Amino acid sequence: MRIRGWMKRKKAFVTERISPSAPLAQNRMISNRTSENIEEITNIFTLTPDLVIRSFTSNYMEGQVTLVYLDGLVDKNSINNNVLRPLMAPPEQGGISIFGLLSVSQISPVYDFRTVEDKILQGSSLLFIEGQREAYALDTNGWPQRAIEDPQLETSLKGAHQGFVETALQNIALIRRYIPNRELKIKEIWVGQRGVCKVSVMFVEDIVDPDLLRILEDRITAITVDAVLNTGELEEMIEDNPYSPFPQFYTTERPDTAASHLLQGRIGIIVDRSPSVLIAPSTFVSFFQSVDDYSTRWLVSSFIRLLRFLAMVVATFLPALYIALISFNYELIPLDLILTVGESRERVPFPPLIEAVMMELTLEMLREAGIRLPSPIGQTVGIVGGIVIGQAVVQAGIVSNVMVIVVAFTAISSFIFPNYDMAAAIRLVRFAMMGLASMFGIIGIVIGFMILIGHLISLESLGAPYASPFAPVRFQDLKDTFLRLPLWLMKNRPTSVLSTQSRRQGKNWRKEDQQ
Amino acid sequence: MNKSVPPKLTVLQYIFLIHGTQVGIGVLSMPRELAEAAGTDGWISLLIGGGAAVIASLLIISVMKRYPNHTIVELLPLFLGKWVGRAAIVLIILYCLLACITVIGNTVGILNIWILTQTPGYLIVFLFVIPTYVILQKGIHVLGRYSELIFYLTLWMPVVLTITLSDAHWLNLLPVVKEGWGPIISGARLTVYSFLGFELAFFAYPFLHNKKYAALGIVAANTWSLLVFLHVTILCFTYFSPDEITKYTWPTLVLLKGIEYRFLERVDITFLSFYLLVLSTTIFPYVYFTIFSSSHLLKKWDPRKQLKVFLILLVAAFWLYTPTFMDLRRLTELWSQAGLVFGYAVPLLISGPIWLYHRSAKGRKI
Repeated sequence: MRIRGWMKRKKAFVTERISPSAPLAQNRMISNRTSENIEEITNIFTLTPDLVIRSFTSNYMEGQVTLVYLDGLVDKNSINNNVLRPLMAPPEQGGISIFGLLSVSQISPVYDFRTVEDKILQGSSLLFIEGQREAYALDTNGWPQRAIEDPQLETSLKGAHQGFVETALQNIALIRRYIPNRELKIKEIWVGQRGVCKVSVMFVEDIVDPDLLRILEDRITAITVDAVLNTGELEEMIEDNPYSPFPQFYTTERPDTAASHLLQGRIGIIVDRSPSVLIAPSTFVSFFQSVDDYSTRWLVSSFIRLLRFLAMVVATFLPALYIALISFNYELIPLDLILTVGESRERVPFPPLIEAVMMELTLEMLREAGIRLPSPIGQTVGIVGGIVIGQAVVQAGIVSNVMVIVVAFTAISSFIFPNYDMAAAIRLVRFAMMGLASMFGIIGIVIGFMILIGHLISLESLGAPYASPFAPVRFQDLKDTFLRLPLWLMKNRPTSVLSTQSRRQGKNWRKEDQQ
Repeated sequence: MNKSVPPKLTVLQYIFLIHGTQVGIGVLSMPRELAEAAGTDGWISLLIGGGAAVIASLLIISVMKRYPNHTIVELLPLFLGKWVGRAAIVLIILYCLLACITVIGNTVGILNIWILTQTPGYLIVFLFVIPTYVILQKGIHVLGRYSELIFYLTLWMPVVLTITLSDAHWLNLLPVVKEGWGPIISGARLTVYSFLGFELAFFAYPFLHNKKYAALGIVAANTWSLLVFLHVTILCFTYFSPDEITKYTWPTLVLLKGIEYRFLERVDITFLSFYLLVLSTTIFPYVYFTIFSSSHLLKKWDPRKQLKVFLILLVAAFWLYTPTFMDLRRLTELWSQAGLVFGYAVPLLISGPIWLYHRSAKGRKI
């Protein structure tokens, strides 16, 4: 099923007019006359005002030398100091090759215009020399980039404050700082027909399961699209079940989280130009773990873990339970409580479902409005929303007090999840549960629970079971789920990842050793 | 249902798959039936029934052990030839179908009386069909995971029942064997359908990953089910007086009516709602093996499609006719008899010939 769905999707992409494997006949070789080369270049790059063609005579070369690059994608300093200055400087001694002359870190000879095109578009500058049948691609890349900042979505109290940026090389470097080991390997795959994008698959070679790696590579290489602009797009093209609301790969913007997952035997997928890294295979539980869990005391973080799972139950089922209890199974509520609830619902003209859906939708709108607005206005939205929800709606008798409490409690619970994707999935599931509860009461909720569990245990991430330490039950892995037991108890890597080398800790210092 | 890569069950999944199948509607009504047949000595009947189930399941394992990679539906054509084998598969399908319909019918019946009094039966079946499809379409390994997970998730339920122990009258159980062994034996006959579920070892054995533990696992499953039944029965016998208990159709639920918390008024309804999870672990395996067997008959059809059609037909059947209580009783009785044949008589009858066959085959080799 998985493979089939995925192949079907592949078929839907029509092959592009331009493809990297186009016949060589269209691909002209570089001639030894610079003027012809320049003509070819200007033919390829029409309507490209940011293309710079700089011709000059060098003291080291016989004829004219021409430098071609895209303005903005290159580092001007590097071009001025390391390319132009040495070439134009008065000769000290003759017979130096281009490699010895230019103080640029990478110089690679290029022979055909397809490569010339690719290189220029990726920010290299091209040097044509009169009388030579090859051009030189100079590594002078320097596109606009952001400084490394604190991650926005996954903030941490005690963890590192470096987040990924939009350059794959920098992101790789950030991860490498955590795992300076030669076993940390990277496989590069180029994805996209128009906006070619470098996808780096990163893993620790002696831990990772080679089968998983192969499945992942196969899926990425099968992608045939215009461009992959974002990690999320790539995720959608390689995930196991595209119909599920649940994220099947963990997306992180923290290098330390990525490093910890790599060390557990997972695979990191770094998409160039995208400030987040995909982690595969992921399990349901990993969406409830945060880096801070491992840097705070284990009792505290166990408590927080329990809180998160409780919050999941609340965020999924509380509004549904309210609907079920008010409209169907009021006999479950003790008499005193039902009197209070009844009193607050006295003036409300709507059935509980309408009441709940109305409030939940308002909440979702407020949240969505708050995200997109600049923060000063965002705060205003919060205040207006808070006052409208909290006071006016109840006073007007449209919604009951209890409902406001339920909605507020649900909202707070749904903010507890450390991962945005999971929080969003649970928001959706909540509405389904509300629908079921409004039709079948508490039975609807139990059936909904059954469907939810059935769905979660049948999900797979790269073929590895998604609900792993719970179903199939792996008692060893349960140490890092509802509770976060002390690290020295977790001697082995989680078995859900299917890593080939399981042990990750030796004998640590223990107090008993001193005696 | 994917035959190219046989999915595997761990030992625990195998145990809980069988245990989950055994514990179902029986728990709710069994105390009354036992009390009707054997009075308060019913718990002795249970022990006998449990013992019989263990013996029968060990027989099944001893048969299946000879053919570790084949389920019963693959073996039947081998034993009986193509056409007789097919007829036997049809009988097995009918048996599984009977089990599904009985359990689903009873579930719908109970829900209609206790919680959803206004909802038509077919709607409840429709509701139930969704998780069935979600879980069964992926195959037996997901079913095994589900049964195991549900077992852990419902561990609190016997604890809730135990609360009623504070009102127990242990004198109700005395004297032991007050009316002789006759009623006890007839009571044991009643426990047959509660213990049914072990016969699924006919199907589940080949999927078991570590076959060394097959016998141990099935004994564990039976024992655990026996403990659950004993727990419930003894609680009911000590809570109700011997005459009172026969008046309630589902004494286990009435038992819970007595409990009341400050935050929860009707524990019985909550209990029954969550008991649906336990019931689902009875229904899902039977539905799964119905389709599993039928996909051996209709090989050209995608099993997933068969499952879809089957579930739609199920809803349609309940839409056309929702069984009444008398129907359900008859169905249960029928299933109980069919189970007696399939679960007890068949292993007993075939284990002998197969043992002899293998003995003579061995002898010939020497």
